[in-house]
Amino acid sequence: MNDICLRIHGLNVSYDGHTALKNIYLDIPHRQITAIIGPSGCGKTTLLRSINRLIDLTDGAKIRGEIWLDGHNVMSDREDVTSIRKRIGLISQKPSPLPMSIYDNVAYGPRIHGMRDRKELDKTVRSCLETAGLWTEVKDRLQSPATRLSVGQQQRLCLARSLAVRPEVLLCDEPTSALDPVSSQNIENRLIELKKDYTIVIVTHNIHQAMRLADYVVHLYLGELVEHGPASEVFQRPKQDRTRAYINGTVLTKPRTDVEINLKGKVCPLNFVFAKAALENLEIGQVLKVIVDYPTAITEVPRAMEYDGHKVLGVKQLNETDWEVIIQKRE
Amino acid sequence: MQRRKTEEAVFKGLMIASVSIVAAGLLTIVAVIAWKGVPALSIGMITQTPKGGFYLGKEGGILNAIVGSLYLAGGATLLALVISLLVALFLQREYIGKSRWAGVVRLSLDVLWGVPSIVYGAFGFVIMVYLGMRASLLGGIIVLTLLEIPIMARALDEVLRAVPRELKDASYALGTTRLETSLNVVTRQVLPGILTAVLLAFGRGIGDAASVLFTAGYTDRIPTSLLDPVASLPLAIFFQLGTPFPEVQARGYASAVVLLVIVLLIAVGSRVLSRRLTKYVVK
Ligand SMILES: Nc1ncnc2c1ncn2[C@@H]1O[C@H](COP(=O)(O)OP(=O)(O)OP(=O)(O)O)[C@@H](O)[C@H]1O
Ligand SMILES: [Mg+2]
Repeated sequence: MNDICLRIHGLNVSYDGHTALKNIYLDIPHRQITAIIGPSGCGKTTLLRSINRLIDLTDGAKIRGEIWLDGHNVMSDREDVTSIRKRIGLISQKPSPLPMSIYDNVAYGPRIHGMRDRKELDKTVRSCLETAGLWTEVKDRLQSPATRLSVGQQQRLCLARSLAVRPEVLLCDEPTSALDPVSSQNIENRLIELKKDYTIVIVTHNIHQAMRLADYVVHLYLGELVEHGPASEVFQRPKQDRTRAYINGTVLTKPRTDVEINLKGKVCPLNFVFAKAALENLEIGQVLKVIVDYPTAITEVPRAMEYDGHKVLGVKQLNETDWEVIIQKRE
Repeated sequence: MQRRKTEEAVFKGLMIASVSIVAAGLLTIVAVIAWKGVPALSIGMITQTPKGGFYLGKEGGILNAIVGSLYLAGGATLLALVISLLVALFLQREYIGKSRWAGVVRLSLDVLWGVPSIVYGAFGFVIMVYLGMRASLLGGIIVLTLLEIPIMARALDEVLRAVPRELKDASYALGTTRLETSLNVVTRQVLPGILTAVLLAFGRGIGDAASVLFTAGYTDRIPTSLLDPVASLPLAIFFQLGTPFPEVQARGYASAVVLLVIVLLIAVGSRVLSRRLTKYVVK
């Protein structure tokens, strides 16, 4: 086994009484890329923000549990938050350049932590920008405002800025979701290079990105840790159904179906009418399952139902010809 | 469709009317003052202090009041900026949290904003009498500072509240303290807003007569120490307009022109500066 960088022990987080993370026990391996995957709202950002204690700044957040980083409990009140955050960098989803020049953005952290010597600063800025793959693009305009960079460049600037304070761990919260494919690829390549020196934790919605990058995978679902393990195992032989479903791209929902109607053999306008009539008789929140086999119906029935304000929970192929559409009634 | 078009037209009309009222108000004030004051304006007026008999229509100028007003308003604005910035920073979430005190402080500032300046003057006067202080530059600066704090603190509070959360988080994530983030990132982001607040406060400070009437005094000389009494433009205007001599009254209007020009220069200057400062601001 690889050695452990971060050990998360019984982490619970809630916002104003609403639980966001339940009893997370997790070891994050040293100098590897750990990908956190899971549907929206499952607590990925919350987990990252807990690890470097940015969560302290969120109103109403309550945290219980321990997170160990070589012998220090990050969560302990006795630890100095600023030194924890210096050791554990965070790159957010939306690039957030600071209101200063490109140079000052990178030099900001080192300056705060006491680097004054101009030559040393120059060297740090340069090497961090090089590592982030931005140096050649900006070396002639270091004094221009960081906001003038393109979004992809801004994200690499944020990477450089994080590296400048020499962290041990880099947390990346969907670092490429605001970027085009080429810029994303660029960031991905950086991360792969960086893992020889840093422990990297990346949150991603993109399962392919996780497959490309991850050595270790963590699957969260509704605040619970569903599965975690080496990437090869989790991706090829997921132990949990929910993980398998997520990886296959269909979120597994097992909605209780209240009414099922069979519309096989009915052509297009008719199957709408029947489906609508069936929904009329349901209470709000109840679920209708419709079986269709008419090819257009497979796309058009869900679309029409969503247009009426109902929620389509899933569309699944049952066999050669038949499909099921699961609809939840809304107001 | 037709109704919505009419609505649009009506509101456009109303907006144009409102803007015209504001513009017309400003123009008339400037026109009247310029018409009455410009003929009496001369180089001597702004380069000399009053000679004997100035208020009877003889030689002299209002340099004492110009310098005095700049000292008073400049000193007060500087002091008010330091205090208000600290107050406004403290009112933000990361310091005061969700505490009800933030609301209480904001309400107090709003009430103080509405207090007439003569009350500040009287209040300052009472305190100064109690302390055995005489009317002086220092007294004037202190009372003007008090007068400027509410307007400045609230203006700063509003701009600080608009600073995006992610910006502060980005700074905190590098291991900075609240103070470091506030001073290096937040204030930089709101520099244009700070400038506006300074301008508002300076405008109120330099134009106010009532609060300096008792606390700063009046003199024909330029003060050489903080404890000397000091003249100010609004009072100079007031005294000159109060004389029965038309030529002195005309100088009163000329002094008003000077005051107007100072305010205008500062407004334009801060606009230009603001454009420079927005260069780095994250939108
Ligand atoms: N500041 C907050 N106040 C209250 N609830 C919050 C707050 N931040 C997050 N939550 C809630 O906590 C849960 C987890 O949120 P989190 O942001 O960690 O999800 P996520 O997995 O990062 O989602 P996404 O993929 O959409 O970014 C959600 O139900 C969310 O509504
Ligand atoms: Mg998130």
